[in-house]
Amino acid sequence: MEFFKKTLDPTVALIAIAILDIFLFVAIGAWTVGGGETMMTGLAAKAVLGDKIDNIPFWHLVFPPSWGYWKIYISLGMLFGAFVSAVLSKEFYLRIPKRLSEWVMITIGGLLMGFGIRLAFVCNVSTFFGLTPQMNMGGYLAITGIIAGAWVGSAIYKRILEV
Amino acid sequence: MSVLGECLLAFIFGSCVGVLVQRSRFCNAAALRDAMLFKSFRNTKALLVAMMILTVGFTSFMSIGQGHPMNFDVGLNQMIGLFIFGIGMVLAGACTVSTWVKAGEGNVGAMWALLFTFIGMFLFSLLWSINYWPPAPASMTGEPNLEALQFGFSNAATLQEKFKIPALGFGLIQVAVLYAIYRAILKKENSVNKVVSVPSKTEKELV
Repeated sequence: MEFFKKTLDPTVALIAIAILDIFLFVAIGAWTVGGGETMMTGLAAKAVLGDKIDNIPFWHLVFPPSWGYWKIYISLGMLFGAFVSAVLSKEFYLRIPKRLSEWVMITIGGLLMGFGIRLAFVCNVSTFFGLTPQMNMGGYLAITGIIAGAWVGSAIYKRILEV
Repeated sequence: MSVLGECLLAFIFGSCVGVLVQRSRFCNAAALRDAMLFKSFRNTKALLVAMMILTVGFTSFMSIGQGHPMNFDVGLNQMIGLFIFGIGMVLAGACTVSTWVKAGEGNVGAMWALLFTFIGMFLFSLLWSINYWPPAPASMTGEPNLEALQFGFSNAATLQEKFKIPALGFGLIQVAVLYAIYRAILKKENSVNKVVSVPSKTEKELV
């Protein structure tokens, strides 16, 4: 199929996503990723810790682990869609970071992302594709934060690239 | 809608997004990082266009009391949390969307980033269980709670209620602001292109 042969203009892709997101907003709620990831963390923690998870109040006061949380399936859908699309366009292959510095940056970056999402109650997707288009005050606070963070992150990244 | 229906719809939506993002290589982290580091706005422009469409769509439905807007108190934790997130996404080289999409393409680094995102969330859950900040949704009132650095709840629907002007009216103001940013980027791109094309012209003349 022609669609899987060339790169799609991101503006075209995002227009399509925006229209789908409006449908989702009317049906259940706007596109989000962080909530589903938190629920997966809770389910994983419960699988590993068992009943001991009850000793951590966060998992019964804020996010009681449940498989029936729709946000989980957005993430699983993205994984599935990307896999199918990568296979169809012959772009699926294992890519393994080669340098130790890459592994270190990804590890620290991942930890900061997870920690930041939970502190904020929102991820970058909710910020740009949920809160801000709903004109929620939290969206403007979050955008200020993410721009400042990206600026600091870029400064660190530049330093590392130059070394 | 039933729980199963919600999950199924979410999965279908996610699959469509996965295909579209995989084909377009859109990344939210790149939208901010490339604009700052390389003055490249390919992803930034796409993000702005999507936000304009979403603002019109969401505020239109909110004007007639439809849709499911996010409903929780916000405060300084959104700013601090996304600041930490912003540093993390540039270091990891991926946002929450592109980690899932790249993991689907077989990128082991992205899978590793996801694993540590989960670990970061778990570490936060331990910290939260000590200081209980930011407040749990059950204790939210919608009113400012300055002691907990919370500013309350406000969106296009609460503005409509307060000022008796349809939410869409406020939405259109936001679209105008986003469009002004979009125009400024186009202008900047044009001026960058000119700077690049000038030396090549003089080179030709020299030849």
